[in-house]
Amino acid sequence: MIKGAVVGFGRMGITHYSILNRHPQVNLVAVCDSSNFVRNNVAKYLNVETYNDYHKMFGEIKPDFVIAAVPTAMHMDVVKSAILNNAHVFVEKPFTLNSNQAHEILDLLKGKNLVHQVGYVARFSDIFKKVKELMDQKILGELYTFKMEMNGPTVLNGAKKSWRSNKNKGGGCLYDFASHSIDLVNYFIGPPDNIVGTVFKSIFSSNVEDSVSSTFIYKQGLRGNLIVNWSDSSYRKPTYNFEVLGKEGKIIANLRTLKIFFNKAPDIKEYTQGWNIQHFPSLAQPVRFFVRGFEFTRQSDYFINCILNNRPCEVCSFYDGFKTDTIIEKIRADSTRCYN
Amino acid sequence: MINIQTQLPVREHLKLHIEPIRPEKDKDYTRLDRIIFGDNQFFGINHMSNEKAQSMAARFKDSESIIRVIDIAYNAGIHAFMFNTHDRVKEVCDHFRAYPEKYSNLSLYPSMPYAHKYANAVNENGMLGALNEFIFSGRSTKQAINTIIQGGKSLIKRDMIEVMKLLVDAEMRMFQGLRVKAIFLQNIVTDLLLGLGSREVFIEFVRHIEMTYGVEAAFNTMNMPALVDFLLDCGIENPIVCSGINKKGFLMTPSQREYEQALVEKPFRALAMSILASGDIPPNEAIEYVCKLPNIRSIVFGASTKEHIIDTRNMIYSYWGETEDIT
Repeated sequence: MIKGAVVGFGRMGITHYSILNRHPQVNLVAVCDSSNFVRNNVAKYLNVETYNDYHKMFGEIKPDFVIAAVPTAMHMDVVKSAILNNAHVFVEKPFTLNSNQAHEILDLLKGKNLVHQVGYVARFSDIFKKVKELMDQKILGELYTFKMEMNGPTVLNGAKKSWRSNKNKGGGCLYDFASHSIDLVNYFIGPPDNIVGTVFKSIFSSNVEDSVSSTFIYKQGLRGNLIVNWSDSSYRKPTYNFEVLGKEGKIIANLRTLKIFFNKAPDIKEYTQGWNIQHFPSLAQPVRFFVRGFEFTRQSDYFINCILNNRPCEVCSFYDGFKTDTIIEKIRADSTRCYN
Repeated sequence: MINIQTQLPVREHLKLHIEPIRPEKDKDYTRLDRIIFGDNQFFGINHMSNEKAQSMAARFKDSESIIRVIDIAYNAGIHAFMFNTHDRVKEVCDHFRAYPEKYSNLSLYPSMPYAHKYANAVNENGMLGALNEFIFSGRSTKQAINTIIQGGKSLIKRDMIEVMKLLVDAEMRMFQGLRVKAIFLQNIVTDLLLGLGSREVFIEFVRHIEMTYGVEAAFNTMNMPALVDFLLDCGIENPIVCSGINKKGFLMTPSQREYEQALVEKPFRALAMSILASGDIPPNEAIEYVCKLPNIRSIVFGASTKEHIIDTRNMIYSYWGETEDIT
């Protein structure tokens, strides 16, 4: 059994707690949250200690691992404190607010045998796992163009009560929403060499951007477009659309459907020349416990398995989080240039 | 049904008008309809493809188009409907209330809450802001003040279970005056709570539904075997549990084998949904599999054409031996 603690008991903290609480080799012992309402109810209905100070919690509980599901601006402090207490640490996305913070954390990890993971959960979805596998096999040959879109109805009015509408706390579409799709580009294709043409647009929010568009340039001639909008009421929930064209064909993917076009018969037996279409039900792999989607359990179990088997996280480590943070930082810098 | 030690008075002002129910001490007092019409197709939910989901959302963008399909099902003898507490369902319920004679055999199985509206509200207003919005939304000041007075003590004490009861009552408002047979907790919430492992929340949900509305509480889940064990462990006898059950094992966590075993071994009332695995299994094959499983009380299915509705209905009856041709 390994002992875990959760810092931040909002939507993601509760999700992680729910999934890990049913893991046969995990014992969750403490929850830290700044809200009295949350702490009172956790203390009353869940069988764990509650804290409003995570430094104190780490010192007293000495957890084997920590789940950090706090606003992004707090990631650095929670993660540093966990590392200093020799705890394996999972932090929600995005990793940090800027690459300086990420550097500081990575320095602190040196010489420590700790598992670290960032919550880019889309990497664990059945269809995007398959896309990654195909991209790694370079089935499309030389890549020409790609498009990563992500749209959703997350912010449809100008309410300002949540940290998500506060830029200093890591709110806004770029950090809180687009980071997933930027990370997928990083995962599938890698970081771009240059970023141009970035435009931020506020639609409902007064303090933060609600949409982001940008162009990624790669030295070998590949270019791609990022188009993200969290204020699009035409979508029922956040929705990705990834499309990449290469010399040998094309991949179009979202969380429900994978379409692959091959110009000629491919080497992979699974597919044939022309269009190949696979749907989610035929690609879905079971998990031990289902909350909100297969990918959440798969993500949590990957983290726990790395700890139990004493091996580093390879799918979404802090190094991957740092690369995505760096792209986000470049997008932010480019957004201050005037393209009008 | 839960073993209730203390009989609390039913809250008359909230009680729905329902048929006489519950012969005393009968653990199976809800006569579940064998076929229940589901609503995913009306709200752009499809596991197979986003395009399909979008085209369904386009087709059902007004309540008239939803009601047209409901009427096809109703006229085909399917009088039971499971509705998520989507905003659009309010309009459908208004329609049912406007034509009581036409829908005299109607039975509803609300499933709450419609999770996405909560998720978006939490993003915008934070957890407490969202709770306030849902508890008090659409109410007059007087009603809101009454709610504060009724729940005031609990809001000051900030007890999650009291808040949960207020949310249930807020969600149930749209079904006022209609015949409700059982009230389902929607799967995302059920499964989150199952993971949190708090027995009190489940027990109090069941108690609140029974005491306030005089009907049984029920559960939608993606983790049927684990949930059934947990509910039985909570003392909730012979629970009503609806889950995806299909020949391909799609959405059957942790495995199809454990689902089949649970159906044989555990004392609960099973409802099967996602029987076609979003269209991944041919209908006849899909229905044969589910109908031949033991202990399935009801099948929940959604369809949007007359042909599909009647074919599915007839196929189910052909396996369950309740043949009744509808043309």
